[in-house]
Order: sequence, then C-alpha cells, then structure tokens
Amino acid sequence: MYDVVIIGSGASGGAVAYTLCKAGYKVAVLEKGRLIKRDEFSKDELSYARRDLVTPNLFDEYHTIEEKVNGKWEATPTYDSGMSFWNGNIVGGSSNLMSGMVHRLHPDDFRLKSKYGNIEGANVVDWPISYEDLEPYYDLTEELVGISGKFKTHKYEPPRSRKNFTQPPTQENAVVNLLDKSCRALGITPLVTPRAILSQDKGHRDACYYSNFCGSYGCSSGAKGSSREALLQPALATGNLTLLTNSHVKSLHTSIQDKIDYAIVVDTITRREKKIKAKLFVVAAQAHESARLLLNSANRYHPNGLANSSGELGKNLLFSGGGSGQGELHKESLKEIHFNDLMTTGLFVNRSILDWYFIDHWWDGKFKGGSVEFMFEHQNIISRARKNNYHNGKLVWGKDLGDRLNKRFKEQKSIRFEIFNDWLPNDNCFVSLDKTHKDKYGMAVGKLRLEGHPQDIKVGKYIAKKCEKILEEMGAKNIYSSVSSAASQNLVAGGCRFGNDPKTSVLNKYCQAHDVPNLYVADASFMPTGGSVAYTWTIYANAFRVAEHIVQHLKKI
Amino acid sequence: MQTNAMMQRRKFLILSSMLGLSPYIQAKELSTFEKEFKEVESVIAAVQAHLFPEGSKIPSAVSMNVTQFLFETLIHKSYDKDIRAFVIEGAQELKSREEGRFTTMSHTDKEIALRAYEETNYGSNWIARIMTLTMEGIFSDPIYGSNIKEAGWKALNAFGGQPRPKTRYIGL
Repeated sequence: MYDVVIIGSGASGGAVAYTLCKAGYKVAVLEKGRLIKRDEFSKDELSYARRDLVTPNLFDEYHTIEEKVNGKWEATPTYDSGMSFWNGNIVGGSSNLMSGMVHRLHPDDFRLKSKYGNIEGANVVDWPISYEDLEPYYDLTEELVGISGKFKTHKYEPPRSRKNFTQPPTQENAVVNLLDKSCRALGITPLVTPRAILSQDKGHRDACYYSNFCGSYGCSSGAKGSSREALLQPALATGNLTLLTNSHVKSLHTSIQDKIDYAIVVDTITRREKKIKAKLFVVAAQAHESARLLLNSANRYHPNGLANSSGELGKNLLFSGGGSGQGELHKESLKEIHFNDLMTTGLFVNRSILDWYFIDHWWDGKFKGGSVEFMFEHQNIISRARKNNYHNGKLVWGKDLGDRLNKRFKEQKSIRFEIFNDWLPNDNCFVSLDKTHKDKYGMAVGKLRLEGHPQDIKVGKYIAKKCEKILEEMGAKNIYSSVSSAASQNLVAGGCRFGNDPKTSVLNKYCQAHDVPNLYVADASFMPTGGSVAYTWTIYANAFRVAEHIVQHLKKI
Repeated sequence: MQTNAMMQRRKFLILSSMLGLSPYIQAKELSTFEKEFKEVESVIAAVQAHLFPEGSKIPSAVSMNVTQFLFETLIHKSYDKDIRAFVIEGAQELKSREEGRFTTMSHTDKEIALRAYEETNYGSNWIARIMTLTMEGIFSDPIYGSNIKEAGWKALNAFGGQPRPKTRYIGL
C-alpha cells in the first residue's frame, strides 16, 4: 500500500509527486503512456509532429464531440473528425512538448465576477482563494521548474515576491528590435515572455541549446521545464517514488461511502488488470480525462460519478479563447534589421503584450481582455513546405512549386501572434460519458460539448486587430488572423470546480473532493474561470499548493 | 489553436466523390494492401514524378526514392488506415479514367489529365494527399529513406534539428 497514488505524470502530477517524495512519503505515479528519456528524444518531424506516436491512436482511444446539427446535439467520434484531444501521453505528459511560454494569472482573474459582474450565458464565479494565496507557489515554480525571464513593471503584471527571475531570458532573435520599435511606435509596451526554459545550466539539466524545434518536441538538454526533467527525476532520486508506466486507470473503487480504497489499473501492453491501494488518491490526468475517470467510477454510493453530489462534475469545461495571426517579413522590404540576422535559427522571439489584459476605454467599453505572445511560425519543414500551395484555387506543382518553396524558405520568414483570452464557462461546454462508445478497455469514452461564449470571439477579434497593426508597422506582408470559437485541444481546464459550497463545487479550496476526503484533483480541473494566459504556470503552482496541504493531511492519518 | 471546423473525414472522402467509387472505404488487410499497391505503384510513381519533376529548385521525385517512401509510410502502423485505402482507390480511379494510359502519356497530356482529375473534389483531395506524402519523404529525416544526402533540406536551406532520430518512428 502506497501513501499516495497519483494518476498522471504531467505538470500537476509531477509537482505533487516531487513534494510528497521530498517529504518522505511513498508515492506511486501511474502513467498510461511510456517513458521517453531525454537521450531518446529527437527532432523527428514525422514522428512527433505528423503521427500519433506520443498520443493514442484515435481508432483505439478517442472522444466524441457534440455538435448542434439542425437544433439537435449530435456526437461524432474523433477518429472521424481527426480532432485529437490527447496531449502527450508519455511520462511528463504534455509538459514535455510545450513551448514554455508562461504567465501568472492576474489578481483580478481570481475575482472575475466581483470585478465584472455577471455575463449573460456565462457561469462566472469568484475563486475561493486569492492571488496572494497562490503567489508563493508561482514563485516556487519559477525556481524549481526553472522559468527564465526579465521582469518589467507593467500595470497588468501581477505583483511578485521575488524581484527578478533567477535566470535571464533565453537568447533572442534580432527580430525583437523591429518588434519592440514597432510596438513603441504604436504606444504598445512589449514585455519579455517568461519561459519555462533554462537559459543557464541548473543541476542535472543543461541550458537551452536553441535547436530551432522546441514546441511539439521533447528537449534533449533538459532545459525545458517538463515535469519529467524538473520534478519526477528528483522525486525518483529520493527513492520514494514508484513510476508505473503503461498503466491506465479505469476507475477508482470505493467500498464505503466516503473513501477510495484502490484504483483499478490496466497494463496497456498485457491488458492485465490489478488493484493498487493507497491512503490518498490524486487525480491528475488532464481536465477532461480526470472528470471522465471520476464519472466512470460511479457506483452505488456515487450513482452519478465519484464526488459528484453537486452534479457539477465535468461541467464548465474551459479551453482558451482567442486565435492567432501571421505576417511575412520579406527580404526586399525588411527594415531595421539585417535579413541574415532574421534568418538565424533557434533563437526565440520572447515577446508578450499584456496591454489589453483589461480593457477600459471611453469608446470600446470595459471588459476583460487577454494576453498576446509573439513567435516565429513553427519551423517544421514539412508543414511549412506543405502550406498555402494553391494559386487561384488550383494546386501548385512542378517547377512552379520549386520556385514557390525556394522563395518561402529563403527570402522570407513568418512571424505570428497567439491571443489568449478567457474561455467563459457556460452550460454548453462540458464532458460527460458517451453511452455508446467505449475505449479499448471497455470504459465509456468522454463526450465533449465544446460551445464557446460569443464574448470570447468578440474579445479575440478586438485584440487580433491591434496585433495586425503591429505586424503592419513591422512591414510584414500578407497579414491575416483567425479568431474562432473552436476549442483549443492543448489548453483544457475546469470540469471539477473548486469552491467553498459542496452544493455548487466538486472540490474544496485545497482541491480535495467535498464528498470523498481521500481524493484530490490536482490538475487544471479545479479552475472555475481560466484567465487569459496559458494554464501551465498556474497548474504547476496550484499543484505545489495542493501538495503542501496533502502533506499536512498525511501527517494526520 | 485548432481552427478547422468539424468535419467527418469518412463522409468527406466519400461524399465528395462523384465518381461512383465503392460505397464505403474499407480498411483492408496489409497483405491485400501490398498486392493492390503493386497494381497502382507505377501510376503513383508517375504522378509523383510529374508533381516533382527534374530541373526544379527542389529535388525530383525520381531522385529521392519517394515511391518506396510512400509505400513504407502507408504500411506503418502509425498511418491512418482510411487514408491508406484512399491512396490506393484514388490511384485506381486515375488509372481507370485514363484507361490505363496515364503512365505512358506525354508530359502535356499528364498535366491535362491531372488538372481534369483535380476538378473533382475527390481527385483534388487525392492529388493533395500524394503531394503531402511525397513532401513528407523529401523533407523528413533521411533515416526514412528519402531526402537522400539531405538534398531536400539543402535545396531549402532548412535543416532538421539536433539530435536527429536514430530509428524510424521512435522505434515503434
């Protein structure tokens, strides 16, 4: 019997495992994927970016997506749509594959309802904790996971207990000179992006080596702040961690009303099932899968799913609002910087804009806005070669294709922006169990209803227009942006809201289930509202906070 | 960010067909696949050679072993079984609509035939798929048997990152 079983080895699972193992507790982390070690990673575009090798094959494991057709909700399996909602099913989870652009939430993200009041059609509530409660853990993440950056005071930068980052920013491409100048010309303040990537060696991890292929790929120096490198490896070194790979949890078993006694685990290779016992269970399987596991754990004590007396389990799922845009910097019209410097590979753009995090404008009105990240177009060669090869609606091929690709790769470079704004929680965005479709282990698959709130698009478009102006000022050509209500498959939160009232929330403020005290949910499921930045830093920070509470809980058992 | 509207792939492949192909695409056994592939291999190779000719600023299909790459890609377990079947059926259709003469046509006639095929949604999807499969060869790591001596990368002055893969498909 373990002290604690953690289901999932991504950011939150790693943070909990690290804290508990360091405190001397015996922990098992169950990961349904396999271990890919640092020296096994490569920059193989075909494997990592074009095939499902680090996520399940959609014909084996999938979700169904509900869409409104002629006024009725109809579910389509993702093996038909091709929309995968799996993210990095390997040890360390999707933190292995992130680009590492991270931000803290703003203090007002914790009290959105108090700040902006009700929004029709959105289920906005305040959090049961404040920014001040989470700040020490944002700081801890910065140090343990390793976040490089350069702090600059800005009206929407949240306060920090540490003056500056422990590591300077990663190296930057000369394009930042053009970007910074263009922003300033428009009265916009560019900020250095905090990045969960080491610019300097740290313990067993080496500094970034600027491979040019960061997001979507595992890191070969250990610079990227993945759960595997930053947390699981030191946790393993304590001797207290048992890492069980290829171990998929089908359900959690309760033989009495308010206590889980074991997890039912299937070996994904042999298909053998076993029971794994522990005093406490921590679910950290990524929001939509964590809710599905609890729903699939329904029994006579919990007929609507484990820890679901509120009926809130799976509800108010969150993605990220916003979208992206792009423009081309052409050799012949490039200003401010040398073309050869622009074409230098591997260096980061490292720029964010928080100027529109909150909008309070005499004409535009007062509303919650969002954040923006600037980056180069992903440098994947096949995908860049494959893009936009149409002319007047016809495919380009033959020598014309050769000319086109030559120009695209050698005489221009595309710069893009990504907008992150709140995905407002609403009644038509949730995960439930599909009554027809089962996964290969015989368990109901998660059925996702993914409707966004109209406000999300309005905000995204508002910010996209401003970002297009920046690209124009930079002299970029063929500028376009795309803001839609499509759910971001790699940014998922909510589904197990935390709150003080057991009637309206699944978890208490320590992310412990109201109904089942030896159950915690440590991933982004707890978030009642998502904020307007990528979730990663908040997931790490909150999991460290929850882990400290679990240590106190274990002391009492 | 995901931007594509929801689209049912099978319906898309099938309903866009105006050619009276089989009513549904079956995922066939690999041995059947190999046999069927051999029957259309020369058509696929001729299409690849036409799309990626000699004398272009990127390496030619013929010099990059792309048909073998395409075959090895399709039979790998990571490849989508529906698309695998679609590649074969689209080639069979091209072979049939040109009454078996496509491979022996002149460059001009091949261009006319492919542009006509492109007029149909089905044909357009199929040609785009062949282009993708060919580019995956020319621009992926040479370990996959195409992009010989990194000729594809050299042509675009764009090189895969370090470390390079030591095995295909992460050893799976």
